[in-house]
Amino acid sequence: MNDNSKPQFTLTLGHLYPDQLNLYGDRGNILTLQRRCQLRGIGLRVVSLGIGDALAPDEYDLLFIGGGQDKEQAPVAQDLYEMKGIGLWAAVEDDMPVLAVCGGYQLLAHYYRPASGADMRGLGIFDAWTIHKGIHVPRCIGDIAIAWNGSTLVGFENHGGRTYLGTAKPLGKVLKGHGNNAEDRTEGAVYRHAYGTYLHGSLLPKNPHFADYLLALALQRSYQLNDSEIMEIFSRNPLLEDRVESGTWKRVERKNGASTVVSGTLTAPPALDDTLEWTAHASMLERLGLHHAAGAALRHL
Amino acid sequence: MPEKKPSPPVEGEGRTRRRKSDPPSSPSIPTRQAANGKRPAKRQRSSLRAGLAVLGGRAAGAFSRRLHLGGGTSITGIVAQRLYPDIVSHLSTQLAYGSVLVTGTNGKTTTSGFIAAILSDAGLRVWRNREGSNLMRGIAGALVIRAQPNGNLRRSGQAISIFEVDEAVVPQIVQKVPLRVAVFNNLFRDQLDRYGEVDTVASRWQQAIRVLPESTILVLNADDPAIAHLGKSYPGKVVYFGIDDASLDLAVQGNSSDRHQTIDTRTCIQCGSDLTYTMRFYSHLGHYICSNCGNARPPADVRAISVTINAFDQMRITVATPTQQGEIVIPLPGFYNIYNALAAIAAAQALQINWEPIVSGIQQFKPAFGRGERVQIGGRTIRILLAKNPTGFNEVLRTLFSEGEKRHMLVMLNDNIADGRDVSWIWDVDFERMVRHTETLTVTGTRAFDLALRLKYAGIAAQDMQLIPIAPLSSTNKSALPARAGKPGLRGSISGRTIVERPASIPRGKRPYGLAYALDTALQQTPTGETLFVVPTYTGLLELHRELERRGLTPHYWEEKGP
Repeated sequence: MNDNSKPQFTLTLGHLYPDQLNLYGDRGNILTLQRRCQLRGIGLRVVSLGIGDALAPDEYDLLFIGGGQDKEQAPVAQDLYEMKGIGLWAAVEDDMPVLAVCGGYQLLAHYYRPASGADMRGLGIFDAWTIHKGIHVPRCIGDIAIAWNGSTLVGFENHGGRTYLGTAKPLGKVLKGHGNNAEDRTEGAVYRHAYGTYLHGSLLPKNPHFADYLLALALQRSYQLNDSEIMEIFSRNPLLEDRVESGTWKRVERKNGASTVVSGTLTAPPALDDTLEWTAHASMLERLGLHHAAGAALRHL
Repeated sequence: MPEKKPSPPVEGEGRTRRRKSDPPSSPSIPTRQAANGKRPAKRQRSSLRAGLAVLGGRAAGAFSRRLHLGGGTSITGIVAQRLYPDIVSHLSTQLAYGSVLVTGTNGKTTTSGFIAAILSDAGLRVWRNREGSNLMRGIAGALVIRAQPNGNLRRSGQAISIFEVDEAVVPQIVQKVPLRVAVFNNLFRDQLDRYGEVDTVASRWQQAIRVLPESTILVLNADDPAIAHLGKSYPGKVVYFGIDDASLDLAVQGNSSDRHQTIDTRTCIQCGSDLTYTMRFYSHLGHYICSNCGNARPPADVRAISVTINAFDQMRITVATPTQQGEIVIPLPGFYNIYNALAAIAAAQALQINWEPIVSGIQQFKPAFGRGERVQIGGRTIRILLAKNPTGFNEVLRTLFSEGEKRHMLVMLNDNIADGRDVSWIWDVDFERMVRHTETLTVTGTRAFDLALRLKYAGIAAQDMQLIPIAPLSSTNKSALPARAGKPGLRGSISGRTIVERPASIPRGKRPYGLAYALDTALQQTPTGETLFVVPTYTGLLELHRELERRGLTPHYWEEKGP
């Protein structure tokens, strides 16, 4: 039995502008990554990167940037370009996983053109640009589901700007909702391991497979692990391994009011029970009328 | 028919004409007006139209009530406004004591309730728009139901009206209603999908107050930077209220879980620099100064100089005004009610009300609809605390969990239009406060799964909460794994851990879904003599009231009490 007090793997998450870009429940994304790591015995350190802080790519394993109000976004755009631009570019080119939601996504594209006033310059990591077509053009608001990687992602979108992709690949195809621009059914953008999206709600709690995907990318890159090694880390349960003697485990299961003791040997059950996550995911899909996809989501269980 | 009060209708008429002459499609009205443009004729016309609007609106309202579609206030307003777009200004100008506007993200209903109680204790006849109908149609409806078919208000002699107004409706109402006092209580993030961001609302209000005549007195929260700023350029009189008790500062209280409270205004509204707080009471409310441009909290005219919390719903505040100083007990739970009481006191001062009705109005206040109201049911007490946005929710949790007592809870999250379709905000609520402080916890609502997930991530174990969704997932039913058949399978694994075993008292045939079942479950787990705290979002509150009414427990909320 290995020493559980000191995690074998530790990751550092750089959270960009937590004080400025925190509008749409971004805490949920951070909490999800923290909890999924913690339960698997992976150490996750969250470091805040505010205005004026430089971004040294070597110090992080993954990055997160959220969305904010327009007023708060302008000083952030300038700081992002001047203080963190080069570091972020280097990190992305070095395949560091980056998740950018809403305003953060817009800032990682070429520019944001507001309804009035000067363009806000972005980093140009995604070959895409965003145009706000005036205050009289309705915002893209509502629940959204997209097809991603043979599965679905669900969330809520609320953006005035329309994003158009150049050579950037979309994150997914819109099944229900608006997506990038409510025209071409694309949603989000991908460049190497950088993911931009309009989905919040928060995104990661109800999309545990996407959270795990980002964590897997980070572990792969930082520890050169292969898929099966990551699968092994993801499915183990350090808390239980610690408590259970001689390789057996016991668990009380309640079904239809009756309690049964389930026991087993050799491997502990996985640390994460995603029942609630997938049920919440499926219920979103059902609310959007996507019953087939909802059924598929529940088969994750 | 039209005998008196000539001036208001004429004013109203002037507005109609201007508006009506705008579109070229209806040239007949101004031409005819110009042809026989004698004043009495115009007045008669507007009174006739107002009378028609009153009759039409009230008929629609009666019809709606008869069909049990609801209280009928909104439909009354909609129809009356359709028949006579200026009905609101026509009627409101007849009020002898004028009108008071109350707005803000949180605390509108309680604040206007406090003001109403103070004013009626002062001997005035107080009219209010009904709970929850704080859009233009609700205001129109509130006036129309008190109007006569000749277009005049009944008994408008001693009358003053208090309009509780939705943030987004402020620009419309300042155009239509001559206001004596306008109360702006606070501005928090609420329903981003409906109102837009906080800054948008602030700049709309800024524009709206430019329309006000200088005789209108503004009552502003000095502790809210976005609100206090409204007074900076206002030419008329401004009364500021705020808290001056340093012991309430979050830093002094040293409560660590308040540190990551959501702050909706952090930058200076004038220059965009970060604000520095010397004291912060909750969210962004406190004593602030901008180090860049010097924009600072204005000194308050109505101040709470000391606050002591006696019990869950008893706060003793010492209030100092330029003319008075005295103690008042606020009979409501929640720190935010200090601001609501101060706002009401400041408004009463602006209306030159004596001190005695101020004290009695607040101390004898009965909690409004969903603001801590108490319902007795089967030997248990239900306390209902509405929470519709992160700040409101955090304050409710702070109220419930600051004494270290364990609580029985029923939390309900809906995402209907009136709640805001976006539920992301639950991730900004400090549910971590609840961990290990709930005796029992039941979760329901249209977004029960999202809420349960949030609570799970706060650290509440699945077996410590009962998740009762409003309906089963249909996809699981299709997977041929019905739980009712008792077969183990997918449904079993979903519901097994989360959905509680059926309490014995609940009939066997009843489906384990929905609010009624959730309420039964939560009550079942609350021992006799104890209190169940119900925290719903807005439409959840409405549903809860319907359910309680169905069980014969509360009066219909649209039935006005008193004169």
